[in-house]
Amino acid sequence: MATIVRDPGTPTQTHHEVTRDVVNTLGTAGKGYLLLLAGAVGLFLVGVGTFIMLLKDGLGLAGYNPPVFWSVFITTFVFWVGIGHAGTLISAILFLFRSPWRTAVYRATEAMTVFAVMTAGLFPIIHIGRQWFFYWLMPYPNQRWLWPNFKSPLVWDVFAISTYLTVSTTFLCVGLVPDVAAARDIMSGWRQKVYRIFSLGWKGTDNQWRHYSRAYLYLAALATPLVLSVHSIVSWDFAMSIIPGWHGTIFAPYFVAGAIYSGVGMVFTLIIPLRKVLKIEHMITDYHFDNLAKLTLFTGSILFYAYLMEYFIGWYSGNVFEQTTFWRRAFGPMWWGGWTMIICNAFVSQLLWFRRIRTNLTSLFIISIFINIGMWFERYVIITSSLSNDFLPFAWSQMNPTWADWGILAGSFGWFGMWFLLFARTFPVVAIQEIKEQIPYPRLRKGGH
Amino acid sequence: MSDETFPEGIDRRRFLTVLGVTGAGAAAMSGCSTDKVEKLVPYLVQSDDQIPGIPTWYASTCTECGAGCGLHVKTREARAIKLEGNPAHPVNAGKLCAHGQSALQGLYNPGRIKGPMARQADGSFKPVTWDEAIALLGQKLQGAGGKLGVISGAGRGTFSDLLSAWTQAQGGRVVRYQAFDFEPVRAANQQVFGTSEVPAYDFAAARYILSFGTDFLQDFVSPVEHQRGFAESHGFNDGQMAKHVMLAPRLSLTGMNADEWVTLRPGSEAAIALAMTNVILAERTGNPADANGLRGALAAWTPEQAQEASGVGAEVIRRLAREFVSAQPSLAVAGGISTQHRGAIQLCAAVNLLNYVAGNVGRTVKFGADLDTGDGYGAVESLLRTMEQGQLAVAIVHDANPAYSLPKSGGFAAKFAKVPFKVSTSLYLDETSQLCDLLLPGHHALERWDDLRPRKGATGLLQPVMEPVFQTMATGDVLLKAAQKVGGAVAALPAVAAPSYEAHLKAQWLTVVGTDEAWRAALQRGGIYGDSPVTSVRLAATAANVTYTAPAFDGEAGPEGFYFAPVPSVMGDGRFANRPWMLELSDPVTKITWHSWVEMHPETARRIDVREGEIVQLTSPHGTLSVPVYITPGIHPEVLAVPLGMGHTAFGDFATGRGVNALDLLDAKDGQGFLPYQATRVTLARTREFKQVAKTEGTTRQLGRGIADAMTLAQAKAGMTPALARKAEGHEEHEINTELEVEAIEGFRESQLEQRKRGAYAVEGQPMWGMVIDLARCTGCSACVTACYAENNIAWVGEEAILKGREMTWMRIERYWEGGEDGDPLEARVVPVLCQHCDNAPCEPVCPVYAAYHTPDGLNGQVYNRCVGTRYCGNNCPYKVRYFNWSAYNKTAFPEPLNLGLNPDVTVRGRGVMEKCTFCIQRIRGAQHTARLEDRELRDGDVVTACAQACPSNAITFGNMKDPASRVAQAQQSPRGYHVLEDLNVRPAVTYLAKVLHRAEG
Amino acid sequence: MRNLAFLGAGSLLLALGALAVVPRTRPVQAAQSASDTLPAWKLAAGDTANLKGPKQPVFFRHDIHSGVNKMTCQYCHYSVAESSEPGIPTMATCMGCHLIIGGSDSSHKVEIKKVRDAWNAKQPIEWVRIHSVARHAHFPHMRHIKALGPNACQTCHGDVARMPQVFKVNNINNMGFCITCHVERKISRDCTACHY
Repeated sequence: MATIVRDPGTPTQTHHEVTRDVVNTLGTAGKGYLLLLAGAVGLFLVGVGTFIMLLKDGLGLAGYNPPVFWSVFITTFVFWVGIGHAGTLISAILFLFRSPWRTAVYRATEAMTVFAVMTAGLFPIIHIGRQWFFYWLMPYPNQRWLWPNFKSPLVWDVFAISTYLTVSTTFLCVGLVPDVAAARDIMSGWRQKVYRIFSLGWKGTDNQWRHYSRAYLYLAALATPLVLSVHSIVSWDFAMSIIPGWHGTIFAPYFVAGAIYSGVGMVFTLIIPLRKVLKIEHMITDYHFDNLAKLTLFTGSILFYAYLMEYFIGWYSGNVFEQTTFWRRAFGPMWWGGWTMIICNAFVSQLLWFRRIRTNLTSLFIISIFINIGMWFERYVIITSSLSNDFLPFAWSQMNPTWADWGILAGSFGWFGMWFLLFARTFPVVAIQEIKEQIPYPRLRKGGH
Repeated sequence: MSDETFPEGIDRRRFLTVLGVTGAGAAAMSGCSTDKVEKLVPYLVQSDDQIPGIPTWYASTCTECGAGCGLHVKTREARAIKLEGNPAHPVNAGKLCAHGQSALQGLYNPGRIKGPMARQADGSFKPVTWDEAIALLGQKLQGAGGKLGVISGAGRGTFSDLLSAWTQAQGGRVVRYQAFDFEPVRAANQQVFGTSEVPAYDFAAARYILSFGTDFLQDFVSPVEHQRGFAESHGFNDGQMAKHVMLAPRLSLTGMNADEWVTLRPGSEAAIALAMTNVILAERTGNPADANGLRGALAAWTPEQAQEASGVGAEVIRRLAREFVSAQPSLAVAGGISTQHRGAIQLCAAVNLLNYVAGNVGRTVKFGADLDTGDGYGAVESLLRTMEQGQLAVAIVHDANPAYSLPKSGGFAAKFAKVPFKVSTSLYLDETSQLCDLLLPGHHALERWDDLRPRKGATGLLQPVMEPVFQTMATGDVLLKAAQKVGGAVAALPAVAAPSYEAHLKAQWLTVVGTDEAWRAALQRGGIYGDSPVTSVRLAATAANVTYTAPAFDGEAGPEGFYFAPVPSVMGDGRFANRPWMLELSDPVTKITWHSWVEMHPETARRIDVREGEIVQLTSPHGTLSVPVYITPGIHPEVLAVPLGMGHTAFGDFATGRGVNALDLLDAKDGQGFLPYQATRVTLARTREFKQVAKTEGTTRQLGRGIADAMTLAQAKAGMTPALARKAEGHEEHEINTELEVEAIEGFRESQLEQRKRGAYAVEGQPMWGMVIDLARCTGCSACVTACYAENNIAWVGEEAILKGREMTWMRIERYWEGGEDGDPLEARVVPVLCQHCDNAPCEPVCPVYAAYHTPDGLNGQVYNRCVGTRYCGNNCPYKVRYFNWSAYNKTAFPEPLNLGLNPDVTVRGRGVMEKCTFCIQRIRGAQHTARLEDRELRDGDVVTACAQACPSNAITFGNMKDPASRVAQAQQSPRGYHVLEDLNVRPAVTYLAKVLHRAEG
Repeated sequence: MRNLAFLGAGSLLLALGALAVVPRTRPVQAAQSASDTLPAWKLAAGDTANLKGPKQPVFFRHDIHSGVNKMTCQYCHYSVAESSEPGIPTMATCMGCHLIIGGSDSSHKVEIKKVRDAWNAKQPIEWVRIHSVARHAHFPHMRHIKALGPNACQTCHGDVARMPQVFKVNNINNMGFCITCHVERKISRDCTACHY
């Protein structure tokens, strides 16, 4: 793939062309798309089947091996929550910072956020021993006079996740309104009906625009703190415990950085093929990727630092338990996991110092795959290796995932992919009206007076 | 989903078959879930000793081994649900070992034969009625014409008397057979003292205990009694403790509790004993007069010579000899199968001399109790010969399983097959009963009338505590009924006049106790208990002939030939292998469950390049077997040890095909009247196949984390704390917290103490429950573990789950190795780990639904029915004492009729919930109910947890820490007290008292 | 298992919870006892169908035994004051009286004959159980009798003395029912008081 000139890339099309191109992405699906969709649904069904087995025979099917009471399910939970964060960062924070390069990609990433959080939300249910009582984690008045324990990070999770899901969903839908309206006016048939509902009777009057932009601004402001808070809370699931390897004060920033890092990685993985499939290369240009890559480099470096710090603190604490844990993380039975995480995240991200790599989509795509793998392993290692050797040596043990673990993991990707693909065909994945905003006023093109 | 959380129902019919016509108020307790229509089935007539909801206790006697401990059987709604020791009994004084505890699973074992069966022409068994069965037996006996042989494992008592009278009256003969016999001890005593009885060993009185390979804590004569005595003398009380030295090639449970382990070449123990005797005789004046006569005979046995034979340094031998006499009285023990090689008689004889010379005979070695032992292996062999020569028409096997417990090389099956008509009274379809033609399953000990005379002065009674579970019949009644059928001399026996065996038994007793009142009193008490008489013995003329010749070993000598050591394990002689509790109980030494293993020294493993779990093939001249390797420092490099008792080919689903039978490698020829267990050498072949070893241990080292703390006797005397002791030892305390942290923790601790005056832990008038575990007394025997399983309906999970570390042992015994590297002595540390019921329990704040929370009386509560199973508490528990129901163990662990043994006071946990030790809260609440009904406060000792109740060494104390007078509060004051992982400041309610090591000074 | 359940279930259960709150769980007195409709002794076996509560193998009349004849509950439920199990009368207890008492009218005679036949056949009568607490909750009857007095049975069981056929007055399986009382009377609400 050719590298390209550094051009901030003001779109050269007219308003009409933009609308047309984007709306074209909504056309009838091609073979490739249908294959992808079928694959996603297939994986999802695998997950469903596994979950039914878990309901029937219990969590024993998964590879738990006390003292490792948490493993792949929680790993995958944190993984998906993390993915979500990049979306909100790009769509909300960068919006507030008025950085123009976000416009082309933010819609897709926003959608990614919603679906990732939807996926993550399944895991608190999947991983508990008596799934049919999951609602006991929520506060509701009952004749037993019982309430959840608000001291427990797991209860914080429930609130964090549900809040995040609500806000990001709203944010996505509001953002969609004008575009859907545009599509509504062009399309016909069932799609038109759908769009009519989602466009909430949008006419594009000045009044509507004024309210709309206000609402969008406020929502952005509302979503922004979540980027930091949600994953901090998720990190406290671990930091609040006393387990060496978990009980760390750096966990909140460490996890947030990791979340955004993994999220941007996933953005690459999704958008690079997507722009080809949907033929919108001229809208999502290498310029955007370059910026995304810089973001990746930044968060990746924070992660690198965090890793170094973890080991340093482990050694400097003078605490035998911490020291043993980190020694075994690097050289113990799970050394391969430990090093996978360090190489994929800390080292690979450093390649992005080179512009040639930043702007080469092939390399970016490959790196993004490494990032996804690395970030999943980061959580897997932090969770299982820390648990497998804590205070009493007699109780130490290692765990090996089983088909049930992989089934649920696969299912989560299927579930996510299914929603994302459906979205990509049903709604504009590029924000029409914001692109238009960047197009210089037509008069200018005819050369002024 | 309620049925998830509760056990499968015990349906009502099942009850009636159990309870007979007296019906079941107990339906109230049956597990069927509430949405089904339940029936309430009233008693026809109220039985005066049964009140629904209130346990009834019966006194009885344990028949699991020859020791004959006294029992208290707890029954609820006429079902036995728990066994405890009888405090009045002289042998066990209220304590009970794991084997005794597991008798319940013998009673409710699914593998039991449901009723009498006769073999058909096609070789299959067909159920018959008892009348048919007894008619058949009578007819065969009539035809036998005196050609009758009986193998009986029953202990000495009214039954065995009846059996011999019954058999002799028909011209037959009885052999009383115990797989683990004491023939060498008897022979040696005959030679040295002129009496063939097995003495009682008074460990409590001994100040110095020297064991020549005898595993007296696990499998020798009377384990519980020994445990008690050993804890008395070897436990640390006011500055005193006995020293315990183990001379053995393998570190057994007993060896793990030794202050000094001297490893030596198998078979050479006698040389050392003789040398020690010699040293004592030579160096010490004031030996017993007649002993001096031995001087000449023993002069040849110098320590140097012993060193030659055993590889133990002459200096060590001299030192031991001096220590042995200077501590008075001392005690040297020999015998038992762990040293039953061809030189066993010499060994026991030599040790007899040692004891005699040191003046222990009569003080710690007491003759006169006339302990019950079988007729020995020689008698069995001669009976087998008569079988072989076709001189038996009828053979009866009672309470024994020779087809399993005799080595295959003896060819029992073939010889037994020569008997035309073979009868078994076994409760289970084991290897022997499978070969028989008529099965007359007897009652379990808890279902029948009987008595036992394990020793002079102690006669135990057995009474039925419940209706029989199956259509079985007490063998005593079978004998009486058959006698009437046979007629003739046997029918003329006075006993046969009795309407039933019960009547006969009572008649016998009335001749002793006299009145009905006395009989009832005896029943209530559990028998007639008194002290055993002590008779003094002198050296016999033959004593001077005691000598040592290196015993012969079969099989390959030289470097490739390993000494093969079949060792007693949890399975005993194999009779416990059909009980899930015993299979799941991790072996006290190796911590392995559910299968066999071969113990190997690390050096050896390195030399022949095998790793743990590799399946190796052991071959002796008599057979071969394949078994996975377990590498442990506690064994002599030239020795391979395999546990006995597994590898059954029948004996119920639990036992069949599990592990290997170590006897397959042994020679059945004896020549000296006992089975030479330790007289074989084997060669080893690698297979490069692996099997993950199902052990419950992760790492065998403490990594300096001070989990199982210990100090020297001197330090303990000086009243040092474990921390001080560690400083004194030179190795500075591991800096687990930085100073700032420590400061912070201290501050936090202050605030905690403040809170304690107010907060949840200090509710007025509420007790605060706590426990003290004295590691100087704990031997790691694991009786507490099984007691806990029995009391708390803990599910066994099976080998597959244990490979995944999913065992449910609320109470587990952690075993750590210390030293053993570069010269310093190997030492085993055991520490029982259970829920510590922390004040600052890390598991509590993380539970999202308050399923784990702190109760006002200081317990760390676990509410099963609130638990959703996030398992965060399990992660956050530093002691890893929380156990999760990964699968529906409540459905798999209690197959009928095992579910009848469930404790109705404890919820059976369903799938998906976390569970853990509750400090036996059901007992606490029960005691509180009683106290309330009696309008009084709880008293110290009202609540005794199952583990504390069972512990044979009294290592566990439980009570209210707030009551300064309580024993637990007292015990906590000991300077040896410490908390495991104290620096986490979780403030555990369990205090451990550091182990005390009686090391050679300097 | 839609993830949205995480949101949905919240509000849904708020509603459910609201329904389930306290009032339903207060002890209900015997006002609603079926025997108000008819004078007790008029009821015949045939009428059981119209009565609340499950039909029992024998139409045993609590209203007559305990109501008309003023027998104390503990005459039959003998262990209620000493054990967690109240105990149900043995057949011998029934026959103690019914050897002599044959019943005043035909319908009674029929029922009493059932009891006598059962006794002669040495077959216990299998009563249908009405009150049973879930097995993860331990309910010590004796503690409650000790605290509330020997005639406190109706606190939970309703006015059995006026029930021709016993039925469940209070949903004793409902933890709220226990808690309400414990809170009102300032008694321990510690979970492990009952759950272990």
